[in-house]
Amino acid sequence: MKNRRFLLFVLTVLVLFVASSAFGAASTTLTVGQGAEPVELDPQNITDNPSEEVCFQIYEGLVGFDVEDGRLEVAPRLADSWEVSEDGRVWTFHLKKGVVFHSGAPFNAEAVKKNFDRLLTGKYKRSSLFTPFLSEVKVVDDATVQFLLSMSFGPFLHTMCHTAAIIIDPTSIDSGVEIKNNPSGTGPFKFKSWQKGDRITLEAFDKYREGKPAMETVVFMSIPDDNARTMMLETGEIDIAERISAFEVERLKKDQNIALTIQPGMRVMYIAMNNLDPTLKDPKVRQAINYAVNREAICRNILKGYARPIDSPMAYAVNGYAPVEGYKYDPQKARALLAEAGWKDTDGDRIPKKGGKRLELNLWSPNGRYPMDLKTAEAVQGYLHEIGIDAKLSTMDWAAFLAATSVKPEENKSQLFLMGWSPSTGDSDWVLRPLFHTKQWIPEGGNRSFYSDTEVDRYVDIGMTENDPEKRKAAYLEAQKLIIADAPWLTLYVLDNVNGRRSNVKGLVESPLELIFVKGVTKE
Amino acid sequence: MGRFVAQRLLMLVPVLLGVSLVAFCIIQLSPGDPAQVMAGMEASEADIEMIREKFGLNEPLPVQYWAFLKGLFSGNLVSLRYEAPVMEIVLPHLKNTLILASMSIVLAVLLGVATGVCSAVMRKTWVDYLATVLALFGVSMPVFWWGLLLMLLFSVKLAWLPSGGMGTFAHLILPSVALGTSSAGIIARMTRSSMLDVLKQDYITTATAKGLVRSVVVGRHALRNALIPTVTVIGLQFGQLLAGAVLTETVFSWPGVGRLLVTSILSRDFPMVQATLVIVAALFVFVNLAVDMLYAVLDPRIRYHGR
Repeated sequence: MKNRRFLLFVLTVLVLFVASSAFGAASTTLTVGQGAEPVELDPQNITDNPSEEVCFQIYEGLVGFDVEDGRLEVAPRLADSWEVSEDGRVWTFHLKKGVVFHSGAPFNAEAVKKNFDRLLTGKYKRSSLFTPFLSEVKVVDDATVQFLLSMSFGPFLHTMCHTAAIIIDPTSIDSGVEIKNNPSGTGPFKFKSWQKGDRITLEAFDKYREGKPAMETVVFMSIPDDNARTMMLETGEIDIAERISAFEVERLKKDQNIALTIQPGMRVMYIAMNNLDPTLKDPKVRQAINYAVNREAICRNILKGYARPIDSPMAYAVNGYAPVEGYKYDPQKARALLAEAGWKDTDGDRIPKKGGKRLELNLWSPNGRYPMDLKTAEAVQGYLHEIGIDAKLSTMDWAAFLAATSVKPEENKSQLFLMGWSPSTGDSDWVLRPLFHTKQWIPEGGNRSFYSDTEVDRYVDIGMTENDPEKRKAAYLEAQKLIIADAPWLTLYVLDNVNGRRSNVKGLVESPLELIFVKGVTKE
Repeated sequence: MGRFVAQRLLMLVPVLLGVSLVAFCIIQLSPGDPAQVMAGMEASEADIEMIREKFGLNEPLPVQYWAFLKGLFSGNLVSLRYEAPVMEIVLPHLKNTLILASMSIVLAVLLGVATGVCSAVMRKTWVDYLATVLALFGVSMPVFWWGLLLMLLFSVKLAWLPSGGMGTFAHLILPSVALGTSSAGIIARMTRSSMLDVLKQDYITTATAKGLVRSVVVGRHALRNALIPTVTVIGLQFGQLLAGAVLTETVFSWPGVGRLLVTSILSRDFPMVQATLVIVAALFVFVNLAVDMLYAVLDPRIRYHGR
């Protein structure tokens, strides 16, 4: 009898324990499910999106992006105002007063200088974003700071919105503390703890310059499995789930407890072509490939409508984007262009040949790096087969893929490869310069297709050095037209960002840069 | 016995050296440059070179291997991804995996042994057939699918248990059931067959003829002798759970060593991968040693002597 009572007691305790922990967290705790774990929290040293997202809750820059109608607008943060000299080489920022870091240290011009001096040492992964144009940061007075540039730099303000330019607590820099694990900034939330592999916990900063945020605690959980992330949102264990799979959207739309935000992002997916390859160096072959692929069908059937075909290498939300006409799906025209390039069907089998050889190309794709990446590559393979090109598809993990596409020109074996690009500064410069400028050929930069055109280089240089937004836009429009005519890529689509949140979560700001900002969030 | 244990522990040294060398060679042979992954897509050659320099990735391979061994034994081995001592990251993850694997093996043993014994004792009855079907189900169900089904039922539909993460005892229930089901099936099959063998022995007939009640015959005389092959399987299963929990850890967002290993492989975090493999191999050896020692406890006739 005694044993039975004891067993009953144990069972009751267990059930209560289980039940209490199964249900949602307090209304002042916000839990965000991220698709990958942040790598570190030193903003000058990070290259991954999840780390950037957490950093933006802890730190602030002099300027930042406001999101308006899915577009990014540069807006004041720690600076009240700024001006630029006529030659575009001196930027003066007037700083907000009375702002303090999480440690209690005051924010001032010295703090800004200390941050950029650190970055300009060149020891950090993001140093190279500023070292090409920034010479020195000068303290004018406690609330005024000047950036002295080695040349006029058109995308300066957009680059100042990047994580590399957000301001770290100078006392952390001086003390030699590991900033990556002990971040301190002026942001709305301060760092509390990091259980590696699981979660980062932040707590509201009561001396935040705009007032203490409504959420006392914000937890960023690493939930790599798409299904698990979605289910945890459905059960209410997390309040926000990032990157909802396109396959889950229709089901989640029916759930009244869940609200979805679907907006075009900044990531353009494309098949890059090796412009030095003996077959692909002929622009007619590259144009034929562009005509051969039905991008609308890929967006509709593979991405379930949560992607939009695009002709430009830049997404609509990128500063400097202008609509340009590209290639419409036309397999007949594709075959005609191949014939003009010497790839003709001579024996009636509908397979174009040159010198008796069939047109064969490698097509490489990562698997799981981007939504439906391999499926998209398979569809492209199918479309190319329709015009007689035998594309041999192979997939590899991201590290192997990066290595294979980063080989110097003379040893590079790539032909066609699927990639995606989202410019972290939100500006055209960070698309056209790293990906199309001749000086940016791999391994010097990110131009993996070895595209080169002196006119494009000239327009990209104008866009980089010109401060007048209209002149920049005009230069980028010309560059885009030339690039599209040359067809160094097969541009595919812009991915939609799909985030889910519990319906009681209000005030969330979602950026097309695949980032969320939680400072204004409330839970009803 | 002491000498036997000491000898087995000594054997660990060449085993672990071998594991570390194989792990080092495999990861070095795989395509992909950790510096490039860390620097990101838009990195310049100078950025990548800076990282290679910082972590000694441009040193000759034997130098890198020696640095790895020194780092491993001095505790100064640094992860490329986290830029922090490997042990500081591996040990908490390993603790989490040990918690999950231990709970799973406890569940698997309780379920597996009970099912196996019932199945053998009630051979060719509906109980036996049902247990066989359940065991087959356990063995054949892919863990990621089974895990999702459990989540759908107990978390989404019934809202009884949390579907992911780690924190309370409740968080442990679904992942350990998902992970332990397959082992339970294997243990049940093994227990059934060894029980059937034992139940045919003469001493069982004698015990029954002496008038002992059925539960004593089965529990004290048959099960104990039938357990030796089962313990071998349990040991092997536990070893596999330690290294093979990666799918469960991913589905249930459990911050264990399997998930850490996969992330480290994908980001080519060489020191982390090598150190994790060495530690998991060492654990496997320890589990096997524990199983060997358990034989002597189960069967007093078994004695170990060092040679």
